[in-house]
Amino acid sequence: MARILAIAQKDLRQNLRDRKTFLFLLLMPAAFTLLFGFAFGKGSDGRLAVGYLDQDGGLFSPALKNLLQADLRLVEQPGQSQADLTQQVRDGKLAAAVIIPAGYSQQILADSPLKLQVIVDPASSASATLQAALLSDVGRLLMAVSAARAEGEVDAPAVESRLAAAQREAQAASQTASQADAAKPSPLQPSQTSPGMMAQFAIAGLLVASQLLVEERKTRAMQRLLTTPARRAEILLGHSLSIFVLILAQLLLLILFGQIVLKLDYLRLPWATLLLAVTTAACVAGLGLLVGALARTDEQAIIFSMICMFLFAGLGGAWVPLEVTGSAFQTLGHLTPVAWVIDGFKNIIARGLAFDSVLLPAGVLSAYAALFFALAVWKFRFE
Amino acid sequence: MNAIEIENLQKSFGTRRAVDGISLAVRQGEIFSLLGPNGAGKTTTLAMLSTLLRPDGGDARILGHSIKHESAAVKASLGVVPQDIALYMDLTARENLDFWGRMYGLRGGALRQRVDEVLEMIGLTERQKDPVGKYSGGMKRRVNIGAALLHKPKVIYMDEPTVGIDPQSRRSILDSVVALKEQGMTVLYTTHYMEEAQELSDHLAIMDSGRLIASGTQQELIQLVGGLDRIRLAINGDVERVLATWRTITGVKQATVEEGLLMLLVEDSNQALPRLFESAAAAGVRITSVEIQEPNLEAVFLHLTGRALRDG
Repeated sequence: MARILAIAQKDLRQNLRDRKTFLFLLLMPAAFTLLFGFAFGKGSDGRLAVGYLDQDGGLFSPALKNLLQADLRLVEQPGQSQADLTQQVRDGKLAAAVIIPAGYSQQILADSPLKLQVIVDPASSASATLQAALLSDVGRLLMAVSAARAEGEVDAPAVESRLAAAQREAQAASQTASQADAAKPSPLQPSQTSPGMMAQFAIAGLLVASQLLVEERKTRAMQRLLTTPARRAEILLGHSLSIFVLILAQLLLLILFGQIVLKLDYLRLPWATLLLAVTTAACVAGLGLLVGALARTDEQAIIFSMICMFLFAGLGGAWVPLEVTGSAFQTLGHLTPVAWVIDGFKNIIARGLAFDSVLLPAGVLSAYAALFFALAVWKFRFE
Repeated sequence: MNAIEIENLQKSFGTRRAVDGISLAVRQGEIFSLLGPNGAGKTTTLAMLSTLLRPDGGDARILGHSIKHESAAVKASLGVVPQDIALYMDLTARENLDFWGRMYGLRGGALRQRVDEVLEMIGLTERQKDPVGKYSGGMKRRVNIGAALLHKPKVIYMDEPTVGIDPQSRRSILDSVVALKEQGMTVLYTTHYMEEAQELSDHLAIMDSGRLIASGTQQELIQLVGGLDRIRLAINGDVERVLATWRTITGVKQATVEEGLLMLLVEDSNQALPRLFESAAAAGVRITSVEIQEPNLEAVFLHLTGRALRDG
């Protein structure tokens, strides 16, 4: 273990003396986050696009729509059928759809509320988001109706007035600084660009890490290591640990940048954020070792790192949100780790999901880490 | 007692036999040189003795440990000075030594103390905080050696440690090799510089094309050429024609051409030279320079292989 730590410490010391490290790992991602946010930010909305079809048109459906709009980006679908909406969800044009059935308001008045019709792709994280939002918002509507009924005035204005009062109470009860900030619309809308640039420039970190491995092989220092009692596994783990620590530190600094400067609430779920940062760093460490294993020269290390960065970032949605692309591109994008990094972080900062929403992205990133590490060990040349 | 025992060691790369069944023994506390031209198989032999390469056949024991079956024990008892400057150029000398010391299992105060001692030994205490990349070639070589000494190994391999450095740095390194021997270390030293092998070695072996062609003390090896003198001549005329004639002259045992010069091994240069001048005059050729060398390792190599050491 002492040798692993010694190798990692040595690598980190070398990396921190290289000016490229600060450029690629901190300055460029911060600058690009702001730049991309400015370019694509205005008018964009990180919330899920959910189709909305009101077949009721009754007393309470406008109030329910208002409630849902606070959590979801509703896209009204007048005149569409359930089959049309199902097709749009299947095509990836909508993350999900909700239909207010005819007679919904009447049935609430009859104290026998109907169920809303929900169309989701079961494999999508939108399912959990939508279910959570519906459960919460329908519950609030029914409570408001119940309160209005208790006072003998069950009509739309009375229900909306109680909903507004409940909203004010809820805000007063949970008036924290972060919520207040989150309520203000950011002109840059960085909830997309921050995770995207984090993922992209985490991979850019390969540039400095893999060059170190190439240089060590070129100067024969790696071969010399093999003449010492250090074992091959210790050497590989030492190098991987240094890349992991470097990228984790980069991610944590960029998360703090997002939290403090961009007002993104990464710390809403600190453990989920940490889990994603750790699995992202592990994935990049595996990839870094693989690039270092395959590259024979500095030039190859640069080219391989750049290919990984541009390919994964471009396909994975770091530049253009996958939500605005077609289903085929979304599927392709999710073959890259970047898409899962973005999904995971957006579940926290944009979609308002719970801790378990990052388990799938974290699991996929862990699997990528294991795959890259195994390939690197297989292909690693010490000479 | 022998520190290193090599038994029929073999290594091939494809169809090329890089090391072709060498056997030798190195006594504890001596400097043993492996002398041979580039490509003779010296570095491949050291790579096998360092456990970097697995032999195709044979085995070697370092302080009693087999290189094939006890590589961890072999590595722990060895210090290896590679031919290349295998250091981290952006780290300081102290940081490099600290790192390599940790690779050999040194920690804490013992490591710090040993790094101080080695810096003193290699004469870089004053420059210890400078990045190695800013050092001269000779200073880098000294750090390269120092990194192999941190754990006080009983056996040290030095693979051509004076390649590409100035005469002053070379002198300093040769002195440090002798100092290591005086500290009780066994040094296995490879070189293609005959002068270094002559100056340093208690015993030496000559390698060529992967084979061990001779071994023993310097005097024992020189006996192989039977006390022949070596004459190097330059002429202005047809070298090949003169060569054919001179091979027939009494007392000339061997005559070859190297880099346009005639190289002759003769029984007695005093008797041979007048005959050579006479023959040249008869052939209408003028001798423009003459150099006479008493028997040395270069002559031994020439005698055994028909080539000069520097021909490679």
